[in-house]
Amino acid sequence: MIPLYGFLEGDTIGLLVLANGDDSLAEVASKLQSAARLRAVIDGPITVLCGGQPIDPNTTVTEAGLQPLARVDVRRGRSA
Amino acid sequence: MLKRDDWLDLARKLDWELSYVSERDAFPEVQSGRPWLPQTDWAGWDEPFRTSYPEYVAGQQAKEASVAAVRAAVGRLEDFQRLPPGWLESLKLHAATLPLAEFAAVVGNLRAARFGRDSAWRSAALFGALDEMRHTQIPLLLMHDLVRWDPQFDWTHKLFHTNNWVAIAARHLADELLLASDAIEFAIATNFVFETGFTNVQFVGLSALAHGVGDRMFEQMVGSIQTDEARHAQIGAPVLATVVKHDRQRAQYLLDKWFWRSWLLFAVVTGFSMDYLTPLAHRQSSFKEFMHEWVLDQFVRSLDEFGLERPWYWDLFLEALDNYHHMVYASAYSYRASVWFNFVVPGPDERAWLREKYPASWPDFDPIWQRISDRWRASDPGNDFAVHGTAIVSFCDLCQLVLSGGTPRDNAANILDHGGRRYVFCSRPCRWIFEQEPDRYAAHKDIVKRVLAGEAPANLVALVQRYFGLDYATWGRDAFGGVYPWLDRSRP
Repeated sequence: MIPLYGFLEGDTIGLLVLANGDDSLAEVASKLQSAARLRAVIDGPITVLCGGQPIDPNTTVTEAGLQPLARVDVRRGRSA
Repeated sequence: MLKRDDWLDLARKLDWELSYVSERDAFPEVQSGRPWLPQTDWAGWDEPFRTSYPEYVAGQQAKEASVAAVRAAVGRLEDFQRLPPGWLESLKLHAATLPLAEFAAVVGNLRAARFGRDSAWRSAALFGALDEMRHTQIPLLLMHDLVRWDPQFDWTHKLFHTNNWVAIAARHLADELLLASDAIEFAIATNFVFETGFTNVQFVGLSALAHGVGDRMFEQMVGSIQTDEARHAQIGAPVLATVVKHDRQRAQYLLDKWFWRSWLLFAVVTGFSMDYLTPLAHRQSSFKEFMHEWVLDQFVRSLDEFGLERPWYWDLFLEALDNYHHMVYASAYSYRASVWFNFVVPGPDERAWLREKYPASWPDFDPIWQRISDRWRASDPGNDFAVHGTAIVSFCDLCQLVLSGGTPRDNAANILDHGGRRYVFCSRPCRWIFEQEPDRYAAHKDIVKRVLAGEAPANLVALVQRYFGLDYATWGRDAFGGVYPWLDRSRP
């Protein structure tokens, strides 16, 4: 398991998300959305950012090179 | 018989010329602080109260008698039971964060009473230590009477002895501010920034709020404490003046560091109370308005007087005034079982008030409270865990508070790799403070690191019960069980 700091746009707090190396970033985003659902939700397309850079959501955690306690952001809309 | 002014300085301002030990041995830098200066550079030190011991004792005796009289008249359990529910939660929050921090301040003052560089400074610090003992005992005494009615009041004494996340954050601040600071840093950080800048005026504001809701006991308590604070806080300015003269850069650093650290705690404790827990009818101003009127204007004036700059993060701080306590309150509401007091959902009227007071930021917070209200509407009354977070939240490696910096659109958390470890900070100022003295902070583990190391449970309920020290009788709930007149459960 790889613990990650997840930040959902519209939420008020960072959450710890436990991911597997072969989880896609879309799955990580889904876990984060589920954990933050009481306070915030994004309807429609999302963008996943790792280290501030948008990454293809089909990329796995391992492929994205995410180390434990890396920051992952989930934002509204598709990246340009 | 000598007149007061003829003998007073023999008692309070008498510095010996040392001959058996060197000044550096008697006042080592590690205890007395930087910059280390010979006593001659401190010889002009003075403060306006110039209190003698008999005056101190007589003044304190009168204050104690006054607190006791108010307690006898309006400090009974029935008097507290009549107070608005939200206000009682504010009381629990303040009561728990205050007394044992004050007890730590006894140590800081006593260090200054021994290692302060001028005898008048040491004399004033000794009175400060006696003050802080009183500030420990008064809330412990008053709140103890309430424990048999509501066990959450037991946290007045218990908080600092637990590994509750608020206790870890409070200890991280209090240990450094009050226990570990040398005499100079203590004077600038505690006396000048924390007391003159924040708590002295906070107690004035809280006293007025307590008066508004009819809590005469709390009004009397904080008013009485404030008069002590106003006196011993005067130690800060003359120390700062001397440090500015000899090492302006260090003075600026200490101010920048401690203003931010003080602000974070202040925003949580007082921001919650003023903008959420005080009933709307009794609110006199928003937390932001209070900060501008009572804290910022005075602090900026002080900086100007000392020829110092505003902290480098001033624009971030102004942005935080619009956001930080709202970020933390919404987060803490949704993890309220992790603390020892209850929370209130802002209803339509409160949200309209907050929208008026925070036009720039409230549009980002309103949807959050709408979602929480909708969740309550769909849940049974009293079923708190249906309207509660379940994931483990994350914490700042400096302030140890939750990662709730910035805004809902853009959380300000940032990562730093240092010495083979990864650190996360809620804000750029917290990261900056860490980077100035990493050896001071690097070994401390936040809650997430403790969970990952197997020192704390990863399951939230186990974490709350086994690590945070709470149980069914004491963990935080919605103060109204989710039953609000404005929350119409008949609506789909």
